[in-house]
Amino acid sequence: MYCSDVAAASFNLQNMWEVKEYIMKKTLLLALALSLSTSLAAPFTLPASWFAESPAKAKTGGEIRYSTLSDFKTLNPFTSSESDSLPDVMTSQAGLFRQDPTNDKMIPVMAESMPAVSNANKRFVVKIRKGMKFSDGQAITADDFVTTWNIHADPKVGSNHLSDEQINDKPITIKKIDDYTVQFDFPQPSAGAYSRMSFAPWPDHVFGPVYKTKGAEGIKAMWGVSTDPKSIVSAGPWVLSSYQLGQRAVLKKNPYFGEWFKDGAGKPLPYADSISYRVVKDLNASLAAYLAGQVDAAGISRADDLAQVKKAIDSGNLKAQLFANVSPNATSTWIVFNWNKASDPTKQKLFRDVRFRQAMSHIANRQAMIQLALGGLGSEVYSGVYPVFKNYTFDSTPKYKYDLAAATKLLAQMGYTKKNAQGYLTNASGKVLEFNLTTNAGNNVREQEARIFTDEAKKVGVKVNFSPMDFNAVIDKLDNPGTDRPWDAILLGLSGGDNIWPYGSNVVPCGTNLHSYNYTKQGGPCLSAQETLMDKLYYKGDQTLDPDARRKIGEQLSKAEALNQGFIYLVGSNYHVTYNNRLGGEFKRELWDSYYGSRPAYGVTTYIK
Amino acid sequence: MIEGGSLVRATLSIWWVATGGRGFVIPFIIRRLVQFIPTILLSSFLIFIVISLAPGDFLSTAKLNPNISPEIIAQQRENLGLDKPVLIQYFLWMKNIILHADFGISFAYTQPVWNVMIPRIINSLWLVLFITILYYGMAVPLGVFGAVRQNSFADKAINVVMYFLLGFPSFFLALLAIFFILQLRFKYHWQIPLGGMTSDNFVNMSFWQRVGDVAKHLIIPAFIVAIHSVATLSRVIRGQMLEVLHSDYIRTARAKGVTEHTAIWKHTFKNGILPFVANIGGELPALIGGAGFVEVVFAYPGITPMLLDALNSKDLYLIAGFNLMTTILLIIGNILADILLVAVDPRVRLE
Repeated sequence: MYCSDVAAASFNLQNMWEVKEYIMKKTLLLALALSLSTSLAAPFTLPASWFAESPAKAKTGGEIRYSTLSDFKTLNPFTSSESDSLPDVMTSQAGLFRQDPTNDKMIPVMAESMPAVSNANKRFVVKIRKGMKFSDGQAITADDFVTTWNIHADPKVGSNHLSDEQINDKPITIKKIDDYTVQFDFPQPSAGAYSRMSFAPWPDHVFGPVYKTKGAEGIKAMWGVSTDPKSIVSAGPWVLSSYQLGQRAVLKKNPYFGEWFKDGAGKPLPYADSISYRVVKDLNASLAAYLAGQVDAAGISRADDLAQVKKAIDSGNLKAQLFANVSPNATSTWIVFNWNKASDPTKQKLFRDVRFRQAMSHIANRQAMIQLALGGLGSEVYSGVYPVFKNYTFDSTPKYKYDLAAATKLLAQMGYTKKNAQGYLTNASGKVLEFNLTTNAGNNVREQEARIFTDEAKKVGVKVNFSPMDFNAVIDKLDNPGTDRPWDAILLGLSGGDNIWPYGSNVVPCGTNLHSYNYTKQGGPCLSAQETLMDKLYYKGDQTLDPDARRKIGEQLSKAEALNQGFIYLVGSNYHVTYNNRLGGEFKRELWDSYYGSRPAYGVTTYIK
Repeated sequence: MIEGGSLVRATLSIWWVATGGRGFVIPFIIRRLVQFIPTILLSSFLIFIVISLAPGDFLSTAKLNPNISPEIIAQQRENLGLDKPVLIQYFLWMKNIILHADFGISFAYTQPVWNVMIPRIINSLWLVLFITILYYGMAVPLGVFGAVRQNSFADKAINVVMYFLLGFPSFFLALLAIFFILQLRFKYHWQIPLGGMTSDNFVNMSFWQRVGDVAKHLIIPAFIVAIHSVATLSRVIRGQMLEVLHSDYIRTARAKGVTEHTAIWKHTFKNGILPFVANIGGELPALIGGAGFVEVVFAYPGITPMLLDALNSKDLYLIAGFNLMTTILLIIGNILADILLVAVDPRVRLE
């Protein structure tokens, strides 16, 4: 059933009245507020210093053409779980705060100024910028922020934002002080407080009445892919204009956005009239569309694809820019050893020995992995903080680099000095040093990395029995807690995070579900001293609002993490940028990386030359 | 105005004539439908169980997301009904299908699976219809030609080319085609569509422009799929034709002095295609089943890319609903094929 909020409400008369009354009330209030605020409203200005070219050069009009690998599955911001969803595109830049790419600090966007912080960093009183409007012309006020937050926070809705709205299962609450002021109350101080508060508001006059009358079920049924685009309302630069299922989405400029969101020269943003996304499921097809000039940019990662783009540019067939290896991506593969093997005390002892894990890091030939598995386009990774997060990369973090002699020495210290007839190390009782390694079958990069690791291990006499298995089977092994978990070692990868507190909330602390080396039960205990220290530092940093104090804690945590080698981090892919020459409006070159991108997300400053 | 009763009688008599007086169609259909109830129940059960027994579920990938806590995953699992035992899930699903014709909600789209599938199926239908027309349009003449001019140079040449094409996977042919289109575009700047179903300005086109635009996008993928497998059908037709061509009654017909055209098309071809009519039932689910990987490679918004997504993410009801629908269509297709067979083959009766 597709129902817009109004259609849903018109099912019964009482609802109708409620809606009408509500809209009237709100319009009255707004008229009042507007007459007061238009003269006061100051726009948000994107600093010209972020950009490669002066904003005076930017042209207005035209269409930005992108492609997407995955079909847009919903228009509903509360149920969307995709990474580049249409709600995300529509509300790009629409949030109370955003990070300044030049210094990683938070700056106010939809907020008028940075909030007043009180109650030991747990209370934030935020003034909302006046003069902002939704694409239907209604003003954006405190009600919109409060309703959006409360719907995300309802577990029955199943929003992906839910984890941003609670800390350790305790809710963060939001309260309307007046039409242009909201107050957030945190159960404890939070490092990510500003990013938690930087969500996009959705119209209370659309979602509020449905949520009041029909609850979570009503919200979930709204804004499916077949909803009439005319009923879609956005607070951001774009609003849906048409969506042909599985083919193409076209979003047009929200004319009210530019009234408060300006470039460095004072011109309203976005520059372009529209932005379109062509759905292309296959990487080859999306590359072909880019090479043919049908789309303006391509997310390329494979060495072959880069070569093809380069060839097309060199031969003059494609007028475009290509920048390879701009920065590492926020991702890494790793090998993790299982510390919970009650049924096999020898292996359990082995995997719990930090010397063994350090030796395994010395065995990992990361350069070979980059050259062979990633086609030369990758970066070495030595800690859980991905190297793109430069502000959290510390010289004091130890690295156990590829060094077979060092590995042999560490293994000898553990008693593995003799080699048997096959050349494998044995301990005093003649037991061969061996373990089983798995990864998800079908992932060529991971399989190749595992094979390189296996070959190198053989050189020092460690027998690795590698056999890939189905993705879901690997996840089941990794995810199930216990004192006797049925696996030795798994090679997988994680990605994501931010440069505010780049340590995984369910990776670093003990007893969390991705603390995969030691996971006896949910909330289970730490085993090693380093682990205990990491656990303590994680929570300390996570509750530190001041960025500089937090970085100092991060330095200690990174060191403990590297010494512990719970995960043996291997390599990550690199970030490459290519775009058609018709596009302008990118960041200046030294700001580019995989975290901030090469231009503000979803074309808000992109113009057609 | 015809009364209800006489309408039924009229329909019946039409069918009676159509089958040449060899059995009543309506009771036959009812009998077959009743027989198929256990088939549907069993197959739906198997489909559901097989999907559910495979390790992992829709939320498995979320477990690897460092920002989603296990509590949230557990809550989601409860919201989606995945926390219940598989059998209970199956009975709830069946109950909703039987009582409300409700095939469930797609987890990824948070919409009824029916709404998610239908637009994709219709897109696929256009492509598959195009493919079918091209496929038969090429295979039948080639098969007949191969039989009539058996072992001629042209017959052999066609065979070599067709078998060569059959040896490639169709998606690889599609990739080659994309490569050549790209070269043509670079060299001559021809606006040959590279994929998709419509052009960028489709929404602003008139009705006939739209038809032309879609046809322009369909022709290359359809041609690739059709020509890829022409060998299979044309060779079988050739074999069937040869068998009939050498039979006594064709010799008799020729001796009677019928033209070569009548001997081939009326006497030989009509008898030669009987085995295909029996197989036509299998074509009905194929019509909605999409064109396979060619849809993916050509970025065509058909059912295949959606199903692959659903399989990858284990979108349970979307996969199960689609499979159940193809099963039902297979059954309907078989009934139609049986009736058609009676119409074309005088030796068969509806029993």
